[in-house]
Amino acid sequence: MAEKKILVEDYSHAEMMFRFAAAAAGAPYAVTQTSLGTDIHNPEYDMLGKAGLRDGKRIAKSKYIFTEDPFFDAGQQIMVPAVKVDVALLCVQQVGEEGTVRVNGQYYSDPEAARAADITIAVAEEIVPEEFLRRNADQNTIPSFEVDYIVECPYGAHPTGMFGRYDVDGPFLKKFYSETRTQEGFDAFAKEWIHDLDQTSYLEKLGWPRMLKLRANSAMNYCPRERKGGK
Amino acid sequence: MSRFASPDEYGLADLLCCAAAREVQDNEVVFAGTGLPMVAIMLAQKTHAPNLKLIFEAGTLDGRPPELPTSVGDARCEMGASRASGLYDAFSIAQRGYVDLGFLGGAEVDQYGNVNTTCIGDYLSPELRLTGSGGNPDINSFAKRTVFIMVHERRRFVEKVSYITSPGWQVKQWPGGETVHRRELYGAAYRGGPSAIISTLGVFRFDEEDGHMYLDTFHPGTTPEKIQEQCQFELDTSRVQGETAVPTYEELQLIHDVLDPDEIFIPKAAK
Repeated sequence: MAEKKILVEDYSHAEMMFRFAAAAAGAPYAVTQTSLGTDIHNPEYDMLGKAGLRDGKRIAKSKYIFTEDPFFDAGQQIMVPAVKVDVALLCVQQVGEEGTVRVNGQYYSDPEAARAADITIAVAEEIVPEEFLRRNADQNTIPSFEVDYIVECPYGAHPTGMFGRYDVDGPFLKKFYSETRTQEGFDAFAKEWIHDLDQTSYLEKLGWPRMLKLRANSAMNYCPRERKGGK
Repeated sequence: MSRFASPDEYGLADLLCCAAAREVQDNEVVFAGTGLPMVAIMLAQKTHAPNLKLIFEAGTLDGRPPELPTSVGDARCEMGASRASGLYDAFSIAQRGYVDLGFLGGAEVDQYGNVNTTCIGDYLSPELRLTGSGGNPDINSFAKRTVFIMVHERRRFVEKVSYITSPGWQVKQWPGGETVHRRELYGAAYRGGPSAIISTLGVFRFDEEDGHMYLDTFHPGTTPEKIQEQCQFELDTSRVQGETAVPTYEELQLIHDVLDPDEIFIPKAAK
């Protein structure tokens, strides 16, 4: 297999959110003042430009463009291009049979990413009757037609957490970070925890005692610490 | 009996946590990252700043966590919150100018408070790639004040950071890269900048006009001279006020019995 490389382009979180929001609104760019004066805007560090990939089709012709506020004289602004997202993969609590998504708690960048992407896949703790979600439409996060595929995958966010369902698995993450600092370390981890394991065998490997320690109290939405046997 | 603890009764993390908590004023909107700042903010909430409004990047607006969250994505963040939303709201709120104080971290800092969390060495072929910007420059661009909590080593307090991830007082104007005061770049969005670096050796502040860092207080057990040895640039020690205030018994009790009994971020001092 030919070797393939991942290119990394640095933007700040707010720049990325505004880029997602522009794409979600069908706009070509967003305008912001964040990160002015930083090396994020160093023209030498435009990685997609250096690789000759800025074709103005899927990838914007520039990483950013400086401009002056033409309306209120608020000073220098940065135009950041919309992100043309191919696929958005969301990890959520509930999805209906027709694709309506209900996220409980903080929803991160889910609504903007789902709307911006050409293909949106909702991976849910449970698939529920669409009619159940439509009884309280005001509590839903993403409308049905923005979602292309639905997948039921309980504990799908492990080793991170899911509001109201289970907590972050701190020790597992710590182990992951410490063991995967080298390619060999990552390969060994992937062999043990990713390759040839479906979701059921992954959960079997974790074991019920571990999962029960992470399970959220349904009234509190997290797992109270005394249940975990803290010091 | 003094209300302040004696040196064998607290650890360095306690000292940093209390110093950070003292940066918070009541009724302020505070934007917090993961780790020690969470304990510091909750400590301020339980002592002198009961009406502070807490924002977490993933979408918690005015959160009142019942127990210490382990990260900004923890379900504990949004418990009791005024609203649970997402990153778009959190950053729009920051850009709109609601945030008084941000707590952040960094791997390297220069004398103007420019902070690096992106890479060590040449960006195009780095010796070490770090976590990247995250929301660090965003919070630092828009908050009225930003406080950085950092490990103090000579290799971290440098003449020039490998990469300016987060803007200090003297920043770069692109495309040329000339150094300018941040006030000139941010226009209407200029509200302030880094107000303190709380390191493992002392508390540093900045002259808002020339942008230079100066030593404000040094932690018990060190001296301004020893701190200068741990900085690659010439540190202004002419404004030193004295030693950093140590934790009180009340603060230690809150940190270890109420906020972080499991020592998630703050280990108990060796007895």
